[in-house]
Amino acid sequence: MSVLIALVIFGMIRTPLESTLRTQLVDSHLLSEPPARDTFMKLGQSTLMGTLGGLRPLVAVYLGLKAHNHFSYTEWDELDTTYGLITGLEPREEDHWVHWIWHIGINATANVQTSRNLTPRQRETEFNRYIQRAIQIGDDALKEHPRSADIRLQIAELYREKLKDPCEASRLYGEMIGLPDSLSYVERFHYYFMADCPGREKDAYEGLMRLYKESENNHLPTLIVKIKKLEVLLKIPIHQWIPDQDPDELIRRQRRSGEPLPGGIRLP
Amino acid sequence: MATDDATQAQQLGGRNWMISGSRIWTIARGTLTQLIRMKTFYFLIAIAFLLVIVGNLNLQASAASQLSMIKKVSFGTMDLFAWLFAIVATAVLIPRDIEDRTLYTILSKPVLRIEYLLGKLVGVLLVIAIALIGMFIVFSLIIHARTVAFAGAELEYLKGAGKPAADIQLEVNAITSQGLRPALGIAVLAIFLKSAVVASVTIFLSTFASSSLFSIIIGMILYLVGNAREMAMSFWEYESDGSMAVALISKVFKILIPDYQLFSFAEGIVLGEKILPHLVWSMAGMSIFYAGFFIALALLVFYDKEF
Repeated sequence: MSVLIALVIFGMIRTPLESTLRTQLVDSHLLSEPPARDTFMKLGQSTLMGTLGGLRPLVAVYLGLKAHNHFSYTEWDELDTTYGLITGLEPREEDHWVHWIWHIGINATANVQTSRNLTPRQRETEFNRYIQRAIQIGDDALKEHPRSADIRLQIAELYREKLKDPCEASRLYGEMIGLPDSLSYVERFHYYFMADCPGREKDAYEGLMRLYKESENNHLPTLIVKIKKLEVLLKIPIHQWIPDQDPDELIRRQRRSGEPLPGGIRLP
Repeated sequence: MATDDATQAQQLGGRNWMISGSRIWTIARGTLTQLIRMKTFYFLIAIAFLLVIVGNLNLQASAASQLSMIKKVSFGTMDLFAWLFAIVATAVLIPRDIEDRTLYTILSKPVLRIEYLLGKLVGVLLVIAIALIGMFIVFSLIIHARTVAFAGAELEYLKGAGKPAADIQLEVNAITSQGLRPALGIAVLAIFLKSAVVASVTIFLSTFASSSLFSIIIGMILYLVGNAREMAMSFWEYESDGSMAVALISKVFKILIPDYQLFSFAEGIVLGEKILPHLVWSMAGMSIFYAGFFIALALLVFYDKEF
């Protein structure tokens, strides 16, 4: 009886302390919040026991290997479900989200686009399904990691390569400017894609010209091509044109004349 | 009971009622030797093998992801070993001492029962500490080797591709940030603190348990329930739509069952979250509070126990 009384008194003292500590640990992300309810419902018996037993990181690693297996066998829906569980268990791990978007948005879409087992209509339907899913995953990922450059980079790749939407790609590259861990080219890419976005050409021209004037290191072929295109499109007076030669024009001319490129390479 | 106290006082010569650190240390060393003889450190070879395999899986994933996986497997294994060992070793020790009649020999000497319990706990914790340090060294060697290999390969590739120095640095930093960091030592400490709490709870269980099997099973169930407590309670309270009865039961449950999940803060450190020193100190204090209470409770049961 005395043991029980002692346990109750101890419990009453420690419960508020634990509650305060838990809040502090969760706020500092040292402790994870309990996984969402639907994550629990989808976990298998052994993974559920592992999670309940405090082996969340090990369960996440196991599920990561399982997802890799689904990737090897192009089982995209299973992979999608597995990554849902992984991110449910470890939402703070940015890489899980990046991989999830990459698998569904790049690999799954490429797989259905080239699949011989699907009819052209099915290919399009499946492509749309996976790309929309990847965008949705990206939105969820950004809710969890609002300052992530890597997640934005991955979503931008979807708009750029798969959806051919330069406006959205430009918006995402723009959001990356100044974020920690963002790569040096994001500002250039922001304006490159803005240049192809209807209605944003003037802003793009101003941005690209600023970069052009800022440093000679920025005088890269794509930047010059984009400025040259915009000079014509925006009817910029010729005396304001940049002196550089359009690299594409050079190639086009050499192709027309049949002249070899430097190094003796002949274009077909 | 009065006779027992008188006998003990007589045995102690009426002068040794102060807890002696040297007696605790002697029992702790004995426990350490006892556990080493049980070949408990052989598992380190298995751990090293596991880490070498995980370190060489060569998955189609980024270098940082692969390093992160090695870290998670390593620390997950350390955690698993630490709490499992804390339960099993602590549960086995007292019944074994009774079986071997070593306990009678010890208690017939001028040794306080609290010294015996503390000595056993310190002995188990010493083994856990040595094992954790051993595992951390194995892990450090593997993660360092892999980090150097990954970073070197990436550096060579990016330099060859003519990438700007700032971008190269960023990529290399992304890899090295997943490598060996001093903060990971705090993660090992966090695992140790958790195992100290688990061991002290199990030592309390083993003072009234009829067999070590009972202590092991109850210790493990308590561990699982203590880990799932917060999750289970939050779901239940959510499902019950704010029912008063559920809230009351939940409160009672929280009072009686230790919150083991609270001590799993090594997870965040391993994932690279920033460590707040005051939180580490608070958690160390909480662990001592837990361990102290359960040792005192164990003494309460053990003191009245007839052998």
